[in-house]
Amino acid sequence: MTETATAPTPPTRYTGSRVPRVEDGRLLTGHGTFVDDIQRPGMLHACFVRSPFARALINEIDASAALALPGVHAVFTAADLNPDVHEQWYSSYGPKVPDTPRPPLASGEVRFVGDPVALVVAENRYIAEDAVELVEVDYEPLTAVADYRDAQTSGILVHPKYPNNVAGGLAGPPPQVVEAAFASAAHIADETFYQQAYAPVPMETRGMVVEWSADTDELTIWAATQTPHEVRAFGARLLGLEPERVRVLMRDTGGGFGQKVVPMREDMCVMLAARKVPAALKWIEDRRENLMAAGQARHEHGHARIAFAADGTILAAGIEHTQDIGAYPTPWPVGAAAAVGLLFPGPYKVPLASWSTTSLFSNTAGRHAYRGPWQFESVARELLLDIAARDMGLDPVELRRRNMISRDELPYPNPAGMPPYDHSSPLETFELALKMLDYDAFRAEQAAARAAGRYLGVGTSTYIEPTATGQEYYACEGAVLRVAPDGRMTVIVNGGSSGNSLETTVIQLTADALGVPFDNVDTIQGDTAVTPFGSGTAGSRSGSATAGAVGEAAAALRAKLAELASPRLGVPPEDIEVADGRAQVRGSGQSSGQSSGQSLTYADLAGPDGVEASATYTAKAPMLWSNATHVCTCEVDVVTGKVTLLRYIVGEDVGPMINPNIVEGQIAGGTVQGIGGALLEHMVYDEDGNPLASTFVDYLLPTTTEVPHIEYGHMETPAPGPGGHKGAGEGGAIGAPPAVINAVADALSPFGVKITNLPASPAALVALLTEAGH
Amino acid sequence: MKPARFEYHRPGSVDEAAALLAELGDEAKVLAGGQSLVPMLSLRLAYFDHLIDVSRLDGLRGLTVDGASLRLGAGMTEAAVGADVGVARAVPLLARATPLIGHFQIRNRGTLGGSIAHADPAAEYPAVALALDAELEAFSASAGRRVIPAAEFFTGLWSTALEPDELLVGVRFPVWTGRCGFAVEEFARRAGDFAIAGVVVALELNGDDRVARAAIGMLGLGSTPLRAPAAEAAAVGQRAGELDGAELGRLAMSGLEDIPADLQGSADYRVRVGAELVARAWAAASAEAAGSDGVGVTAASAGAIDG
Repeated sequence: MTETATAPTPPTRYTGSRVPRVEDGRLLTGHGTFVDDIQRPGMLHACFVRSPFARALINEIDASAALALPGVHAVFTAADLNPDVHEQWYSSYGPKVPDTPRPPLASGEVRFVGDPVALVVAENRYIAEDAVELVEVDYEPLTAVADYRDAQTSGILVHPKYPNNVAGGLAGPPPQVVEAAFASAAHIADETFYQQAYAPVPMETRGMVVEWSADTDELTIWAATQTPHEVRAFGARLLGLEPERVRVLMRDTGGGFGQKVVPMREDMCVMLAARKVPAALKWIEDRRENLMAAGQARHEHGHARIAFAADGTILAAGIEHTQDIGAYPTPWPVGAAAAVGLLFPGPYKVPLASWSTTSLFSNTAGRHAYRGPWQFESVARELLLDIAARDMGLDPVELRRRNMISRDELPYPNPAGMPPYDHSSPLETFELALKMLDYDAFRAEQAAARAAGRYLGVGTSTYIEPTATGQEYYACEGAVLRVAPDGRMTVIVNGGSSGNSLETTVIQLTADALGVPFDNVDTIQGDTAVTPFGSGTAGSRSGSATAGAVGEAAAALRAKLAELASPRLGVPPEDIEVADGRAQVRGSGQSSGQSSGQSLTYADLAGPDGVEASATYTAKAPMLWSNATHVCTCEVDVVTGKVTLLRYIVGEDVGPMINPNIVEGQIAGGTVQGIGGALLEHMVYDEDGNPLASTFVDYLLPTTTEVPHIEYGHMETPAPGPGGHKGAGEGGAIGAPPAVINAVADALSPFGVKITNLPASPAALVALLTEAGH
Repeated sequence: MKPARFEYHRPGSVDEAAALLAELGDEAKVLAGGQSLVPMLSLRLAYFDHLIDVSRLDGLRGLTVDGASLRLGAGMTEAAVGADVGVARAVPLLARATPLIGHFQIRNRGTLGGSIAHADPAAEYPAVALALDAELEAFSASAGRRVIPAAEFFTGLWSTALEPDELLVGVRFPVWTGRCGFAVEEFARRAGDFAIAGVVVALELNGDDRVARAAIGMLGLGSTPLRAPAAEAAAVGQRAGELDGAELGRLAMSGLEDIPADLQGSADYRVRVGAELVARAWAAASAEAAGSDGVGVTAASAGAIDG
């Protein structure tokens, strides 16, 4: 279902169509090239010695037995690697933020189970793992801060320099701003919501091959990454090398979702160690390491309040947010958390808002970026709206209709400190998704089922999110377009595709920008030696940013082709039109056929060297607003607590889609991750700080049997950016958890059950039902 | 996640395998489908100096049915068990339990004997074997062939009555005939996960719809697979349609010990789920028996093979 609400964009051949992904052939036949496929002469293998304690002093490390094992090359400790750090900071934040500690290896004290203590280098991974068992670390265990909710009162410090374990906090409008509204409210909804820790869990774990050439002072890195240029910049700073002496390569990356958006501590170790060993060094993280040490996300709680007038109109909203950042977060977590407060009002007409956020250390895996890092704003708001509606005796859909912003009302101010919402369609996607469900029919079905002792539920979730930021670092994307002597095109961009089809996307864009067939365009990505700078897959930016870069490079290329054609066509360049694969005199009417005096193909113009043009696009708008409504229906078995999802509908607006298949793939992937977060995934620790879900036996990802068919409804409101395209990468993961939880809560509403803790596991639901007397 | 060094043996016959087991003793472990053992080795939760791979032994394959029993070679893969129409006809519980074992990739390698010898309390085949009073055939170089009743086989968490030098070579299941009904009910977080609880029920009705015999096996509710003798005794002689499933569930849960409690649920939660599964399985099996023509299992249930 597609509804286009705006003036049509110029006709294009490929943009907007379901072009098959060029990546699929190799990926679906098992011929992708991932970092573990890289083989180098004499390559060595790394494996980390990791802490078995959540918090302990390191008294001594004895590597002699490990070093004596045949095939072991080296065992590095903090004393070997940490002093080599030249500079350590991420480009997106710069060196001046009050960043949290991030040593390569643990020094003196371990701070979570999985904390890297030493790095073993051996001939192969088997020997390396044998040697890891032989490294004797004398630990002196200490009581840990296992739960961030105890961090401010436990008296134990994760890092001595942070009193009360507070890494920092930010605040928007203070509570006083909303107090009068709350005082006069006819109804107040007030709950504290808790969201469990879960993580991106990419299909491909982290990994890196680093090869140092001492003779030439050159470093080559093959990485599983979302952003090769940042790996290069970071690596160069870390090692004190000129960026030009660092080359980063990647082809396929099997998912990142934020976990691979910047290098982490282990990556630092491998880069540092590579200069101390005589051959390339490979580190491939195994699944247990990934679940134990790659980091966690989502772990947070928030006291959320909404004040309503008697008719359900929202008067004010406020949230006090606290998040777990673990021991070593990546990158700086404090600033990112502001988005929770800024976006808490969501796509509703909220006159006043207040917010604050606090980041607390704990002795657990560090917080890292995860697809829609601020999604707690939607969890808290959308769950609270359903609870409020039930308390007021209103249908949750009706309560939202009374408050949601429609396209006609834009731009609309955000009271929390964001620029005004614009170019989006919250109420429209809401109605679209409800229409796809046939909401009234479902309510009738639900009533009939209840009469028969079955418990069905429906939940919705509507959000609006800033995408394709104009923030300096992420605003920037370069592209090079090259015409080969035979007229074939190549588009060269940074890349960093981790499943999000940047190859297909830029080929579509290039084919349209120059009027050439899709099959006549190749792309080169993921090699910093030959690609222009781009900031990679992050912040739902790649579609918009590459459209900008390709668009500007195509304009430059068309200008060059016009210059080249000018003498041969006998008219000045400005009288030449470059389109549809040809240069011709403007208005000559020549539409097809052979090259002639009035029309030249790109091959005619390319010459033996070809023609090339490049451009760097910089986003001008501070953000492009994407929005969506998720609607989920489910059945709950009130004896076992099992939740079965029945239908899942997403009505969304990411502007004109470059490729609906890719957009829907992005929505599906995020939605599945959100379903996992709502029902299954839980990176749980015991009271001593031991991770209890470090294999796939205990860390439960949703699979095809748990996820229903996802139905999509598209609206396309263009944004003030290239092609009108908006970001699509993160929304699924934001919208899904509240829709699922609201559906479960709706199913259980006859029992008076209120869900404020995630995940809604069967045992947790049974506990709520038991508490409610069922 | 690489296993520590081990020596790999691939004997050519059951006799050779038994000889190796006798020679290597505790330092050796039998490798069949490897679906439990290999992950434990890779996670270095288990270490063995020698692995004796029996997965290619023809002597552990094959299936024979006589009137009273079905004998399966221990090396038969779970996928083969689940796909065999003869198995589905003779011992419907085996066929119906099979799709609940992990995922099809796991069933392609995992074996009947491997599952039973591993004796995970949440596994399906051990519960079926126990419920049906199967006979486990062991073989050793020293004692030759030995038959162990299922009731004596499962001795504790992941432990069995097999001697260190014994290899499980076959399993003999009684074939139930008459007006029978069978059901498997299991609850897991996701399809293919270890069950939080599971129940297998077999029952036979006599001519006036009274329960002639009943077998209830349970998994995930103790340190071994379990029977529910109180519930079985309460059912026998009663009219199937008049039995209170919830009461049978309560009886089945009464007196349970060592109920697991883990991330997926407390002991109380498992009892709640287990009782409900007993009721549901009993209802399904009763309905099937009541609709049975008394000759054998229905065509529909025979067709419930691994898909």
